[in-house]
Amino acid sequence: MTMKVYAYGVIDSNEKIDEAMKGLNDAPLFNIPYRDIGIVVSDLNTQIQKEDKKSVLKHEEVVEKLMDTFTVLPMRFLTLFSGKEQVLLMMKNYYDDFIENLDRLREKIEFGVKTIWPGDLIRERITTAHRKSDNLPLVASSSGKSFMNEKFENYKIDKEFEEEADRCIAIVDGFFNRFVAEKRLEKLKTDNLLLSASYLVDKEKRDDFKKAFEELRGSGGDLKYLLSGPWPPYNFIVLTKPNAKKFGSLDMVDSVFQRKDRT
Amino acid sequence: MNTMIETDSPEVFADEMEKLQDALPKKIEANPENAEKGLAKLVLTLIELIRKLMEKQAMRRVEAGSLTDEEIERVGETLMKLENKMKELKEIFGLKDEELNLNLGPLGDLL
Repeated sequence: MTMKVYAYGVIDSNEKIDEAMKGLNDAPLFNIPYRDIGIVVSDLNTQIQKEDKKSVLKHEEVVEKLMDTFTVLPMRFLTLFSGKEQVLLMMKNYYDDFIENLDRLREKIEFGVKTIWPGDLIRERITTAHRKSDNLPLVASSSGKSFMNEKFENYKIDKEFEEEADRCIAIVDGFFNRFVAEKRLEKLKTDNLLLSASYLVDKEKRDDFKKAFEELRGSGGDLKYLLSGPWPPYNFIVLTKPNAKKFGSLDMVDSVFQRKDRT
Repeated sequence: MNTMIETDSPEVFADEMEKLQDALPKKIEANPENAEKGLAKLVLTLIELIRKLMEKQAMRRVEAGSLTDEEIERVGETLMKLENKMKELKEIFGLKDEELNLNLGPLGDLL
């Protein structure tokens, strides 16, 4: 493999970084400056597999270390450029976006909260209640109407299930609302995974956020919770330029920044 | 930064996340050996999306009481035939319900 440039993240500094820091394959890290910001990279001359856990962890470690000193826009694992010129071209094209994101995410970290509820049981309970009430809207005198009756009943069950989920999510989310700057909530990715949330939190509110999680966890009930973080703000980077390929390359920005899903 | 994961139920979350990964095909697998199936999967996924949207819209209208008896009968017949046709096509191409979905990355899942 020819020499490539491996990128870890854009930072709010155009100055040299700590030379002792190492990247993938123990290669030295350096900051490529562009105007008042920079992008931290290392050289890479070997193939890295997507599933290589050691490299994934190394990428994350570098980003987290950078976050101790800088505001970082983390790049997704395996973001490669064919050379420094391509890096600079990308920096030029996305400069305004980077500045906006760096300002918005300054002194912020991300937490993930996942909630599991007994979705199977709740659906079963709702279904049983519906079957008992047998409150069908149509007189099933034909095959078309029978079909609609069955579908309508399933529709009502789904709707009630979702309303119940919304109620529970509002309660869970209510524990964190006071401490977050932004949030992304995903409902019912599976019947049991009630909530998969990412919260953007001011660094100074980090302990408050964790305390809120402990309160939630201690609040009883049959829901199960998972807190992860602090993470770099992977889920809160917003790019307005939609098409990286517009400016030429590359095996690179095969979407430079990407939302992640962590446990 | 001392990133940590805190939970009382690590196994439950690991199982659920695994289920989620298994459920979502990352891409349409099309290669010379199974080009027909790959294409069928893509086309049927899109038809399934449209069919589900139509069904949902019909349910909303039933709920709102804005369909006459005749219309309900006609819509019901149509939706039923569509569903049966989809079952047939899925069988022909050896596709399961859970395969008819697409992960749209940051946008979530198609269905």
